[in-house]
Amino acid sequence: MPLKEKYKKILILGSGPIVIGQACEFDYSGTQACKALRALGIHVVLINSNPATIMTDPDIANTVYIEPLTSEIVDKILARERPDAIIPTLGGQTALNLGLELVTKGILKKHNVEMIGADEKVIRAAEDREEFRKILDRVHAKYPKSEMVRNLKHGMDVAQKIGFPIILRPNYTLGGGGGGVAYSKEEYEQMLAHALSESPTSEVLVEESILGWKEFELEVMRDSAGTFVTVCSIENLDPCGVHTGDSITIAPQQTLSERAYQDMRDEARKILDAVGLECGGANIQFAVHPDSGKRVVIEMNPRVSRSSALASKATGFPIAKIAAMLAVGFRLEEVTNDITKVTPSCYEPALDYVVTKIPRFAFEKFPGSKDLLTTQMKSVGEVMSIGRTFKESFQKAINSSESACGLEEVTFAMEKLTYPNSQRLFHLAQAMRDGKTIEEIYQLTQINPWFLHQIKDIVDAEENLQKSSGIANADQLLSLKRLGFSDKRLAHITKTSEHFIREKRHQWGVHPRYLQVDTCAGEFASSTPYFYSTYWSTASQEKFGIQDGSVMVLGSGPNRIGQGIEFDYCCVRGVKALQKQSYKVAMVNSNPETVSTDYDTSDYLFFEPLTSEYVLEIADFLKPKGVIVQLGGQTPINIAKDLSEGGLQLMGSSLNAIDLAEDRARFKEVCEALHIKVPKAGVASNITQALKIAQSVGYPLICRPSYVLGGRRMEVIETDADLHSYFERHAVVISLESPCFMDQFLEGALELDVDIVRGKDWCAIGGVIEHIEAAGVHSGDSMGVIPPQRIKNDILKQIETLCEKLAHKMEIIGHLNVQVAVKSDEIYVIEANPRCSRTVPFLAKAAKVPIVDLGVLAVIGKTAVETQPEKYSYKQLKEVCVKGVVFPFNKFTEADSILGPEMKSTGESMGRSKDYSEALLKAFISSHHRLAKQGEIFLSLREKDKDALLETIKRLSQLGYSFSATQGTAKFLYDHGIDCIPVKKVHEGRPHCVDRIRSGKVATVINTTSGRQSIDASFSIRRSCIDYRIPCITEDHAAEALLLALTKLHAGEFDVAPL
Amino acid sequence: MDSSIKGFLILEDGSSYSGEWLSGEERAGEVVFNTSHNGYEEIATDPSYFGQIMVMSAPMQGNYGVDRSFWESRQLWIEGFVALDIDKHNRAWLERLAEFGIPTLNGIDTRRLVLHLRNQGTLLGALVKAETESQAQVRAKQLIQQHKELPGDWVYTVTVKEKKVLSGAASSGPRVALIDYGTKQNIVRELLKRCSEVAVFPSRSTYEEIQSWKPDGILLSNGPGDPAKVEGTVDTVQKFLGKIPIFGICMGAQIMARALGAQTYRLKFGHHGANHPVKDLRSGHIYVTSQNHGYAIKEDSLPSDVNVSHMNLNDNTISGIECKKRRCFSVQFHPECYPGPRDAEVLFDEFMDWIRE
Repeated sequence: MPLKEKYKKILILGSGPIVIGQACEFDYSGTQACKALRALGIHVVLINSNPATIMTDPDIANTVYIEPLTSEIVDKILARERPDAIIPTLGGQTALNLGLELVTKGILKKHNVEMIGADEKVIRAAEDREEFRKILDRVHAKYPKSEMVRNLKHGMDVAQKIGFPIILRPNYTLGGGGGGVAYSKEEYEQMLAHALSESPTSEVLVEESILGWKEFELEVMRDSAGTFVTVCSIENLDPCGVHTGDSITIAPQQTLSERAYQDMRDEARKILDAVGLECGGANIQFAVHPDSGKRVVIEMNPRVSRSSALASKATGFPIAKIAAMLAVGFRLEEVTNDITKVTPSCYEPALDYVVTKIPRFAFEKFPGSKDLLTTQMKSVGEVMSIGRTFKESFQKAINSSESACGLEEVTFAMEKLTYPNSQRLFHLAQAMRDGKTIEEIYQLTQINPWFLHQIKDIVDAEENLQKSSGIANADQLLSLKRLGFSDKRLAHITKTSEHFIREKRHQWGVHPRYLQVDTCAGEFASSTPYFYSTYWSTASQEKFGIQDGSVMVLGSGPNRIGQGIEFDYCCVRGVKALQKQSYKVAMVNSNPETVSTDYDTSDYLFFEPLTSEYVLEIADFLKPKGVIVQLGGQTPINIAKDLSEGGLQLMGSSLNAIDLAEDRARFKEVCEALHIKVPKAGVASNITQALKIAQSVGYPLICRPSYVLGGRRMEVIETDADLHSYFERHAVVISLESPCFMDQFLEGALELDVDIVRGKDWCAIGGVIEHIEAAGVHSGDSMGVIPPQRIKNDILKQIETLCEKLAHKMEIIGHLNVQVAVKSDEIYVIEANPRCSRTVPFLAKAAKVPIVDLGVLAVIGKTAVETQPEKYSYKQLKEVCVKGVVFPFNKFTEADSILGPEMKSTGESMGRSKDYSEALLKAFISSHHRLAKQGEIFLSLREKDKDALLETIKRLSQLGYSFSATQGTAKFLYDHGIDCIPVKKVHEGRPHCVDRIRSGKVATVINTTSGRQSIDASFSIRRSCIDYRIPCITEDHAAEALLLALTKLHAGEFDVAPL
Repeated sequence: MDSSIKGFLILEDGSSYSGEWLSGEERAGEVVFNTSHNGYEEIATDPSYFGQIMVMSAPMQGNYGVDRSFWESRQLWIEGFVALDIDKHNRAWLERLAEFGIPTLNGIDTRRLVLHLRNQGTLLGALVKAETESQAQVRAKQLIQQHKELPGDWVYTVTVKEKKVLSGAASSGPRVALIDYGTKQNIVRELLKRCSEVAVFPSRSTYEEIQSWKPDGILLSNGPGDPAKVEGTVDTVQKFLGKIPIFGICMGAQIMARALGAQTYRLKFGHHGANHPVKDLRSGHIYVTSQNHGYAIKEDSLPSDVNVSHMNLNDNTISGIECKKRRCFSVQFHPECYPGPRDAEVLFDEFMDWIRE
């Protein structure tokens, strides 16, 4: 028996809330591992603070703890569960660091628990850069010149020795947090200070620059018998200097010779052996000088990672699953290849296609942040695509990104070529159109000419097409489609419509074919239903045993702010629910980080762009019963109309029902017909109109341009001056065609999120989440609590009834999310979304209502009798659950952290307890707030919050906190008998409040403000808190919540309990 | 695409694949696929590929140019090069193919071709230039027929014509005779690292010719074609059995098996790739290996004193045999790699250990 009998119960550490650099790829790997271990009969205990994950669903692990990922909490769980071993290699850097902490604090020893997958020595070797360099020396591997710096002075000396540019890499941070490239002494000094504070050990590796070198990554595995395989090689299109998470990457590598590649592979094996990784997966990053071929090692991670998820999807080799099996004693030869079912896993996948990954960025969400790519990761998501050639794969990836339909024309800007940024591809193509040579572009970008030539081929094909008079025949169209052009892009170039191109294409019989991802380039037969499309296939389409009548589920595409892992949860859960009802399910998605794109999640997996063209082609091949567009967030909703018009049956809410929710004017009519209050509103296309509307609606009001989704460019406006400023700043997006919406802002109102499911003759409320922050903060950014704590019961009942009426009137079938505001006991409906919402997984975990399953039952037409919705009630829950929120401000050094109507958070956590304050405390801890038990709280409050927060401040004082405050606030505190140190505002001269924060004297900041001017004035306060990782509360209700949490913190001890 | 020349790959079962003819003269050969991602130059210069049209399953070819030091022999041996997307910007590889007149067909749906070969087994085929498929079919038929009439001992075509003695880097190392059935240069390099002298012998060298050089050990190299058709060597090997250590690689392994009295048979579509797991049954160690063979050793034909030492874990075929008594061992895969992982290079050390014993 390969399984070591001693492992009967194993604890897996999850990765916590989604942050930049650590996203749902760890849900994918953790879920895979849980399933694999359970299949071996092992009792799997899981801890993860992120409720949006699939791994925390009841079917995945045996026992689930949604608790903060801290050593104190794990200590309690170990005491309660008494597992035999713990695996720290599946939850990213968070789990690895936590694993190390559990060892150093003696907690594992205390409970007699073994750490498997990677031991202390391995974690230290890989994560402690000095340690790692010693190992590299031992195997004669080269690395960039560098030195570990622990203070500023030493740092300056080292810089002298190495010379600029210099790369900074803080120790023990994820996604290269706090790191970057410094080109000058001044820049270096500033960045070093920041980097030292980011590193939990205050250590920063200061390193010789390898900017412009080619970058590669090897995904490797090793078992306890020493068998070593390279699962995948990955090459970055972007040269060194851009974090690999932000780079466009392709697999397998394309520009290394056989010798150079095998040299790299040999070195990887030696490093793994020397590090002492007994078994598991790892990735090793290399840089190769473009001319000399000199190779250096950049880093290695002895765990599954973002790139291992990518590698798994790219090759069909389930790294995480196998890593888990290796950890409990299996050897690679004992694990059968899932895809071929006959060959063992101790092989190296062979690919007969090219995989491209393109990251997705969110700079537009963070005004002030520079769109620059550096060694610190900034992307929030990624897409992957598969094509037979680089060009096909690359253009499919651009399509998948949902931000462009090809290499769209831009106004060329030299700095967009020379400084890596999110728009570089388009400027690169434009430079080619504008006549720059490959050599010139290479000099400017250091992007390997191989890639440049490939891109040039695409640009040339576009130019030829432009010169010709349209597409002449099937052959010409086919050869263009083989280059990966979307119909939409071809329409743009030929000045026709997408519809026209599609019609032509169908008339000429030009369709893609679906090929299998089989790990072996066709050498062995495979039955795994994992497909990608290509126009290169000349074979007749194999049916792969697929029968007509399956259900297509559309995923949510690349993670972005506002649409992330939550929707993957909905999709995966939805797929399972459909399968329980005996449907065959085809999943379509383009995001390699997800569980939904694991080949064993659905019956058929299509790794394809989520655009109507690709989805309709899949439907043409599949002949499905219909498509479900309400599980994958806004992405499928946006293409619902095209799909429906393309002849695909929408299952659940009709196009009309969707439109009723999406079209504000129609939605307002529905509400009015039901006598439901909506905020007063108007539409203005210029400032004159706007000022008039402001008079009728009244200040404060919320402005947003009409075409914008997810709260972008949304602002609260309080005065005419603000309104003028708004129209000036957003002039480019406001016009007669796309006017500005102006809504009454319900100041101080309590907001609630309601998720409801409607079947043809039934309704079920999934739950109601009360937002902690008042109206004005985007629902995705506000903390939330279930059951509601402040809303009256009769109002809650009214809200439920109102939402049911709304769903009924709109003829929703399936999910509806309604956002409601309550002010002075009046209920207003703010908006409705005809789909699963971001809060669905949170509700499912908190209220234990299987809301996605109910939605599926509604969609497939189950009646009330069949569904029995009355069995479920979110009110039966015994615990209080608080949703915490995590922001990426530390990655965007110029951005403001003030919360507003535009969503900025990347992830969420859950705090669960019998008691509200404990749930709050856990949510704060899980959201990476460093709550201080004592010390100074700095206060700077706007006028209207002062009275409201007085009680809170008094109680904080009773808890032993001291205060400092700006003049106005200080005077207010004196007047109410509270002692405090007055400090200057920034414009009042030094030393001012920011100096005080930066000097480390302040433990917590409460800074409420409004109005554009004062927001700008207090920016540096919030910024310094981000830089020094000090909790900074920017809203009065949140301050009250913080008080509750701090009170609990002082009371000490808290409990843990499984779901 | 408009100015390009149309070309076809026609298989002996009549199936056809059309693409862009990039260079070379029309030829026929055995159509085999290789799943190595890299190493087109090493593959094309490996004499084992004599008589074969090489279909690369990896779509992007020619990407990293060429390098004379990658050559595994004195020339390109393949009868044709077929791929989906050969680099036309960096033309070095295309030029090299053209220089040797190798017919090169681009834009081929190699996936369909690989699946066809997997299902049908290895087939003969011809690469032809033609406007229409029917023209191509006629021309291909002739070429395939001519190819069938070629003499069967392909090894004899590729082997050195005269004995050649090379001095190695290890002055105290043994003297090894390398019987050249179409050896890859890297076998020679690996031997030279460990030996004082290496003599390369033509495939039909006699026992006396080799013995007169007084070798401490013999290495039987890789080579092309059907082992049963290789003439003038099984006897020679037989005479050395038990006298000095013999190590066989690929074709060498099959010749050794035949010399030991075992039989070889044709695999359905052979092993051609750089990712095959092989287990050393003696140590339990697993190598990811480079493989290129269409024939294998029949397990039930092995004499009782011969053990199976290595097994291919993909299909459980024999990947190595060992006979302590008759002082010989061999592997079906390529420990000299190129292309492929270098995990199994240690087998050359093992050979040295056998010699020292």
